Amino acid sequence: MRQSAMRIDTIRAAETRPTTVRHDDALISAKGVSLVLSRQLILQNIDLSVPKGSFVSLIGPSGCGKSTLLKLMAGLLQPTEGSVSIAGLPPVEAARKRMIGLVFQEANLLPWKNAVDNASMLLSIADRSLSRAELRARGQEMLELVGLGDSAHKQPHELSGGMRQRVAIARALALDPAVLLMDEPFGALDAITRDSMGQSLLDIWQRTGKTIVLVTHSIDEAIHLSRHVHVLGIKPGRITESLDIDLPYPRDLSLTEEPEFVRLVVQLRTMLRESHQPGASS
Amino acid sequence: MSDQSLNTAAESRLTPILVAANDRWLPAIILLVATVVAWEAAVRIFDISAFIVPAPTAIARSLIDQWPSLMQATLVTAGEILFGFIVSVAVGIAIALVIVRFDWLGRALYPLVVLFQNVPKVALAPIFILWFGYGLAPKIGLILVIAFFPVTLSMLAGMQSVDRSLLSLMNSVGASQSQILFRIRVPHSLPQLMAGTKIAATLSVIGAIVGEFAGAQDGLGYVIQFASTQLDTAQVFAALLLVSVLGIVFYYAAEILERVVVPWAPKFSRA
Repeated sequence: MRQSAMRIDTIRAAETRPTTVRHDDALISAKGVSLVLSRQLILQNIDLSVPKGSFVSLIGPSGCGKSTLLKLMAGLLQPTEGSVSIAGLPPVEAARKRMIGLVFQEANLLPWKNAVDNASMLLSIADRSLSRAELRARGQEMLELVGLGDSAHKQPHELSGGMRQRVAIARALALDPAVLLMDEPFGALDAITRDSMGQSLLDIWQRTGKTIVLVTHSIDEAIHLSRHVHVLGIKPGRITESLDIDLPYPRDLSLTEEPEFVRLVVQLRTMLRESHQPGASS
Repeated sequence: MSDQSLNTAAESRLTPILVAANDRWLPAIILLVATVVAWEAAVRIFDISAFIVPAPTAIARSLIDQWPSLMQATLVTAGEILFGFIVSVAVGIAIALVIVRFDWLGRALYPLVVLFQNVPKVALAPIFILWFGYGLAPKIGLILVIAFFPVTLSMLAGMQSVDRSLLSLMNSVGASQSQILFRIRVPHSLPQLMAGTKIAATLSVIGAIVGEFAGAQDGLGYVIQFASTQLDTAQVFAALLLVSVLGIVFYYAAEILERVVVPWAPKFSRA
């Protein structure tokens, strides 16, 4: 517990960690990112590169700061040390240019608007030149992309949890962002819905070519969906391991029965177990 | 979107309410009738003096005999309540908006508004009479100070309970503070605001009667006070009955308003 009450001097001392990340084709890159909040070292010396068009998962125990790292990428928090950039821009600027789509665990739809108006809600604020009809058309198009084309006029309370989350994904995609940042988007859903949502997300990813960063605590989900998995350790939050998932796309749920999948699950589980051990630096 | 389809939709939604009302209200109606019969019987059997407890039939007689003047008084009081209620809701909403929108002003205003709640507002009635005379103004003022607070408080609670990740979403696309206020916070606060409005409706009735007690030449509060000096207890009860009816009417009017303003509120959408 004591270790978490660190100062910036301590972060600097840890900067000797060798950088192994390639920055050539990176759409998102974090360089030497540390974050101190209320005198607690939350994230320490994160180096991360997300290649354009890839699907990257961040996995780690509760409290490792994986959601916080996502917030840094979204520009909702500023790093104490180091920098984050999206296509060379600071995240706040990238967000203003509609390059970032956000999806959280809760869909947070507006209960007074129907599905299609919810899907175009953020777009209507980001681009005030669009007419009501244009917004509707864009919302409808996005609902169709997430498989809710015939639910456009339903109110949020008429939709299931999974459907609400689909609308939330449509709302993010309506901005036509380069990057989709997702913070445990299926965390509140039951196992079966979760599987089919994951499959849909893969489908959307392949059709749109978006770059996706997914925060999850599900090992299966991380391996099933992503091309790269980064494991975060706790106290302080840092990247302890990175794993490339070299399974071919398109992937479906039958993948989970293959020996290579099972081998990766075991490998990732071992990495996660080790990441639970607190440590000052790797 | 024809009018006809809207009508049938409204009817189909009302029918189950009417059917349910039968079951829901029947026990209450039976108890009410039994109480009135027992009251009438008790007054007759024990020969209770009419100026202490008048029999229900005596109250009814007074109601019928004095009908034109009682109706006139009812209209005056109803006008005060309606006007005062509208002013209270408008001022209550305005204060809540100012507190949320202008941070500095809000921090100045909010503690004072809460502090003011500790003033026994009924006791302000004589001062309002002194300042504004015997007309409509002191009643409106009194209703305002009594009824604006639940409106302000409920709307504030609603506006401040917006989920943080929703605010993050809005910030990520560069929404301005007033966009967040009017497109998210205000509509989000409406279900709670309507709950506060119903309380304000009830308090408005109290405000009007207290205002009339303190000094008036008309209205049901004035009738109650005048009749009690005349020891005409039956008429006091008749006027009380009309005040109660007014209270019920205003409460249900606020409830209908709620259905119109926030048909999407969780309490309606559960069915």
